Amino acid sequence: MSLEKPTTPAEIGVTEDGLDYDALADLLGGHVLDRETHVNAEGFVIRPDEVQDVLSTLKTEAGFDHCACVTAQEYDDRYESIYHLRKYDDPTQELSIVVPSPKDDPHNQSGARVYDTADWHEREAYDLVGIDYDDHPDLRRILLPDTWQGHPLSQDYNQSQPQIVTLRENANPLQDDKRSEDDPDTMFVNIGPHHPATHGVLHVKTVLDGEQIADIDPDIGYLHRCEEQMCQNGTYRHQIMPYPDRWDYVSAGILNEWAYARAAEDLADIEVPEYAQVIRTMSAELCRIAAHMLALGTFALDVFGDFTAIFQYAFRDREVVQNILEDLTGQRLMFNYLRLGGVAWDLPEPREEFFEKVRDFLDDLPYKLEEYHDLITGNEIFQMRCVDTGVLSPELAKSYGATGPVARGSGVDYDLRRDDPYGYYDELDWNVVTETGCDNFSRVLVRMREVEESARIIEQCVDLLEQWPEDDREIQANVPRTLRPDPDREIYRAVEAAKGELGIYIRSDGTDKPARFKIRSPCFSNLQTLPEMSQGEYIPDMIASLGSLDIVLGEVDR
Amino acid sequence: MAPESAPLPETLAELAGMDPNSVPVMILMSLIGAALIGTLMMTNTALAGPWAKRKITAAFTDRIAVDRIGPFGLLIIVADSVRLLSKELIVPEGVDRPAWDLAPLLIASSALLGFAVIPMGNGLHLADPEVGLAYVFATASMASVGLVMAGYASNNKYSFLGGLRAVAQNLAYEIPLILTGASVVIFAGSLQMSEIVAAQSQTLIGPLPSWYAFVNPFAFALFMIANLAEVGRNPFDIPEAPTEIVAGYQTEYSSVYFVLIYLGEFIHIFLGGAIIATIFLGGPAGPVLPGIVWFLIKIWGVFLFTQWARSAVPRVRIDQLIEIGWKGMLVLSLANLLLTAVIVGVIA
Repeated sequence: MSLEKPTTPAEIGVTEDGLDYDALADLLGGHVLDRETHVNAEGFVIRPDEVQDVLSTLKTEAGFDHCACVTAQEYDDRYESIYHLRKYDDPTQELSIVVPSPKDDPHNQSGARVYDTADWHEREAYDLVGIDYDDHPDLRRILLPDTWQGHPLSQDYNQSQPQIVTLRENANPLQDDKRSEDDPDTMFVNIGPHHPATHGVLHVKTVLDGEQIADIDPDIGYLHRCEEQMCQNGTYRHQIMPYPDRWDYVSAGILNEWAYARAAEDLADIEVPEYAQVIRTMSAELCRIAAHMLALGTFALDVFGDFTAIFQYAFRDREVVQNILEDLTGQRLMFNYLRLGGVAWDLPEPREEFFEKVRDFLDDLPYKLEEYHDLITGNEIFQMRCVDTGVLSPELAKSYGATGPVARGSGVDYDLRRDDPYGYYDELDWNVVTETGCDNFSRVLVRMREVEESARIIEQCVDLLEQWPEDDREIQANVPRTLRPDPDREIYRAVEAAKGELGIYIRSDGTDKPARFKIRSPCFSNLQTLPEMSQGEYIPDMIASLGSLDIVLGEVDR
Repeated sequence: MAPESAPLPETLAELAGMDPNSVPVMILMSLIGAALIGTLMMTNTALAGPWAKRKITAAFTDRIAVDRIGPFGLLIIVADSVRLLSKELIVPEGVDRPAWDLAPLLIASSALLGFAVIPMGNGLHLADPEVGLAYVFATASMASVGLVMAGYASNNKYSFLGGLRAVAQNLAYEIPLILTGASVVIFAGSLQMSEIVAAQSQTLIGPLPSWYAFVNPFAFALFMIANLAEVGRNPFDIPEAPTEIVAGYQTEYSSVYFVLIYLGEFIHIFLGGAIIATIFLGGPAGPVLPGIVWFLIKIWGVFLFTQWARSAVPRVRIDQLIEIGWKGMLVLSLANLLLTAVIVGVIA
């Protein structure tokens, strides 16, 4: 063993003012066929059969440990997969690996052997766009039923083709007991899609050994609503913004809207007025509190086992946030409050009343949180249930692309609000919360402490808004009525949504509608860690882990 | 004390002016007495299930609950009965018919049988056999058989898991329950319910009565906890565990069968309350108010406790439950039994 400290991998290509893409290209040498410029990063075009080599070189030697997303799309002359790589230490260091594949037989090497997270992302690309990934561990459809004909986002997809498949033709899940072959003593159970603890329509195919989990396979797609395609059919300026509210629909709407707003504004070079940024920051944090309250309440529901006190308390307090958001946006669920270049309207009049309402809520919050700590985290049975169950090591969390409270509960210090600043966050005084327990308990603690931090942010925003000079309250930048970003610009931008990194990839083609609109859902990546967490544990622990992941199926399935 | 100690059938026979020594008269009067007590407990359950449970949980969780129909929403009891009985009874394919049908009946009736030997005050005491306490425990345990039947016969994996969990849980907790009950028997020197109640009628210190809850609070606490597991309420509601195995053994039951199971659960809670009231809280004893009122207050107190636990305490995991049962409760209850035996042996 050498005593010499190896050069830290993150150093290759890192300079004072951003990434030196030339150095990275040198590292990859002949692998790089061509270089593209995307708005957020450079894209290296590589050969379809060298994906694993390139990705593993970048992961081990250049420190790109976060494969945020895999975007697949079809051009007139080729198919293309883009691996959006970033670093957990500094997500502003981004690199896109562009893998073209031939039109007549689209296939390229899978990246799933390098990044575990690519497994599901590539399955989705295969399902919707129709690219085959060689050497993929388990390439089957993920969102659509197994019997689906065609790939809906490919160009030659026939939308009028009927998709009627009878039960007889479909694989009947009841036909055989699906016992695990190497162990005849196991039992197969379908948990979901209709089950009290799946937080929506999630179907977990479970193989049980007694009460312990021998194998689980989350089956998603029951709530797939073609959100990407719908966004591709909407105009940038007006028709896309209502959709993000429907991804993570449990009151995290404004956070989602911000993801689209950020991507589209950067794509079309729109500057957002500072005043609007403060309002956005405040409303987004209100949404985060509401979303975390719900996460807390439903997690308690999973562990306590009934609609008990803590669930109702969380909902009671979430109601206050909902009322504030209703005053601000006019809506309780589907806010549709952000606009490209600003927000829909200014704070409600009389402003003092609104500020007082927010302040009252913030003043009450510490007592409420104390009550939660008494009831939940201080409870010994709760600790018995949650400490050291559903363990997700930091390495696994990174490899699966986990973000948000799930990653921070595993000690991964990653928060886009600080690491890739947007809005007004870098002007404010707040902390990123991490816990190192890596278990269900840590994830709950992270959420509870994040509520405190969000409250701090809101408080500072309210102070700022209160003192804002009256003649400088610009809520909306000048944005053309019909927005047509320059053709062939590509961007991947993400914000820290309630569940983690919510990213949007947009490719423009010169029209007023995106040519490709891809949503990187944090829940989708986080849910992938469930099998790792619950292998060998008891059913109740699996349910608790699922609760602590805090997935919203609207966002997983899109 | 004389009129209260006479069993109910004899009192009824005397009221009707018939000969208490004739066998047919006694059979008839026993049936009438049983119907009376059964109706009383069923009324309690009717009050508890659709109405009180909702109101209590609502109070714990800052809500209002039923208040639309009748005073305090009380007529919800009628509305719910009609609603539940008018539902379609769905019999899933592949259920094991006689067992599947018998299970709800067994669950509901076994708990009801236990009330036969409970002295409820004011002469409401159907029978007073010498093995009273053993009989109560025996009938209460019969429900486990019903749970296994329901779980096994339903042809559903969740039911199956629930049934297995129910057996594991009842095995692990009935032994501490009975051992703790046995410590009371050592104190009272009898299994007969009336004797146990009578033994608690002295005063301990000052105005404090010599109820075994005060004489041996340790045993009382143990019994309360074991009872929670016995009736399957949080933190021990493992056999049902809605968020894990849907509804456990009752997953496939609907309509009247569901009502029977539900009824059985509540009667079981009240039977647990009745046992606690009798062997730890002096039975119907209490100042000013008549015995039956005190008795009902006590069993409702225990009911309230189960609802409190349900609202505030997380559920333990199945392996933790078994561990607590066999490694904790059993050892503690054995220690309690030993301690009681030593104390009674030294003092008496």
